[in-house]
Amino acid sequence: MEALAPARLKAPPRRLSPLVERFTTNKLAVVSLIGLIALVLIALVGPVVYIRDATTQDYTAINALPNVTHPFGTDNVGRDTLARLMAGMRVSLVVAFYVEALNVLLGASLGLLAGYYGGLLDMIVTRIADMLFAFPGLLLAILIAATFGPAVTQQFGGIGRLLLVAGSLSLVSWPLMARFVRSQTLVLRESDFALAARSLGANNRRIIVQHILPNVTGLIIVASTLDIASVVVNEAVLSLLGLGIQPPDPSIGKMITDSIPFLESNALQVFLPSAALMLIVLIVSFLGDGLRDALDPQSLR
Amino acid sequence: MSKLILKRLISLPFVIFSITFITFLVGYLAPGDPILAMMGSRSDPATYDRLRHLYGLDLPWYTQYGKYITGLLQGNLGLSFRYQGRPVWDMISTGVPVSFSLGIVALSLSLAIGIPIGLWAALKQNSLFDRASMSVMLILYAVPSFVLIPALRWINYQAYLRGLPSLPVAGWGKPENWILPVIVLAAASMGFMARLTRTSMLDVLRQDYIRTASSKGLRERRVHWTHAFRNALLPIVTVIGPSIAFLVTGAFVVENLFAIPGIGFLSVQAISQRDYPVIQSTTVLLAVAVLIMNLVTDILYGVLDPRVSLRD
Repeated sequence: MEALAPARLKAPPRRLSPLVERFTTNKLAVVSLIGLIALVLIALVGPVVYIRDATTQDYTAINALPNVTHPFGTDNVGRDTLARLMAGMRVSLVVAFYVEALNVLLGASLGLLAGYYGGLLDMIVTRIADMLFAFPGLLLAILIAATFGPAVTQQFGGIGRLLLVAGSLSLVSWPLMARFVRSQTLVLRESDFALAARSLGANNRRIIVQHILPNVTGLIIVASTLDIASVVVNEAVLSLLGLGIQPPDPSIGKMITDSIPFLESNALQVFLPSAALMLIVLIVSFLGDGLRDALDPQSLR
Repeated sequence: MSKLILKRLISLPFVIFSITFITFLVGYLAPGDPILAMMGSRSDPATYDRLRHLYGLDLPWYTQYGKYITGLLQGNLGLSFRYQGRPVWDMISTGVPVSFSLGIVALSLSLAIGIPIGLWAALKQNSLFDRASMSVMLILYAVPSFVLIPALRWINYQAYLRGLPSLPVAGWGKPENWILPVIVLAAASMGFMARLTRTSMLDVLRQDYIRTASSKGLRERRVHWTHAFRNALLPIVTVIGPSIAFLVTGAFVVENLFAIPGIGFLSVQAISQRDYPVIQSTTVLLAVAVLIMNLVTDILYGVLDPRVSLRD
């Protein structure tokens, strides 16, 4: 009689292989993924292997060209460029990570809840997002970083400043994430499978977690990967305006501007950080494109 | 069309309220006592109270906000913290025409070059010109201004070394001072416009009415220019607003790296002196300017595309 007992409905094991297959057909995306892993490794493990302080000034080697002691040369106060590049890349990647974490925690979840529940919550979230959208470009991030920067650095030091930079950059980008996720959720909420789940007695929480969330995960991953590119550039802009990471801590944006006056004598000090920045931007963009093709969230096409 | 504009006009006060309120809030929550910082070691209670009253900091926040708004409506942006009692407007007013003209010239340049390139690339789809120009435009779009600036300066320096004509890389006032900053400022939106024009034109060329026009026996040139081009322009009008917003961030970078005395440069200078009211005013000023530009492009879009009134 056991065979006649109602079989427990079980979700079929999720197939990951077609996704991986689609992703791996895009060679550029695969190379980018490897490149990103390499960059993260260089930024994290590099300083352990290449033991050189990024802020120590070597007055015997100012604006030096690449040599044995300084493989990438030094800047205008004799700081080792390779060490500064690795530290600067770490700052860029850490800021990007924090911003995307905030975007997902704040933007994606608010967008999901606003899209699903609608009503007052939706109105409040949409209104706040609209308020933040009213500021063109980086203006709001510049305002926040400029106003709170000095006090935050005084109180919490470099880490506090880094978090402030990440927070102010997220202020400009989470509304977009919320908007993406919200519009996708609006469609999914009315879908047949959501209706089916509801008619089977699933409560809101279950529908959101089991049915809606898996369908917006792709969108969230792709949107945050693509957003990393602009976050890295924006962090550099804040830093070069003097509002981001404070000297002597290295940041790619600050490295570029600090070396521009010495462009004529030592162009390498400008082009190396520029190249590092462009590399991150390109890698992240190609990776995002590959992920988009593999995960196929239509709303981002 | 009138409905759309009406909708925009109704939301306008809300948006302006958001901008001024958030900006006010940030200034209100700014850490530290600006009056104490202003007086430094010469602190005495009577002067402190007098200054606090002068800056309106002794009032409750809603009164402060009310005064702030009425001030803004009268063109009064408040007082500088750094220079006692000096109006902020005095400090940044000289920068307004500089930034504005720089932005307008850059935007016009990006449209004047980007659109024809995009059109030509679409008409010659998959040709060498198409591929080459679109790659260049992609690079212009993708390379951030602070990377483009040293690259151009380096090329300029190499030209100088070889005795070729070269441009000044800093300063303001002479016509040749405009060239590099305008190129840098226009680059990204030019790349974007060119690529968008190409996509939009290709899209239009596939439409039925283009086939109809061609099969009627109209000359190719007439089909392209009267039927296709006008319709292909519509999406471009919609992105003019966002690209002005993009120019604002660009202006901060370009003005600071070329030492151009526009509002971006002046406010970053003020920031380094911890003169927060200046950056607050800059934010409000630029945000409202972009808002108005957006409204104008929306109205323009409504005028150009009669379908808009049906849709909205």
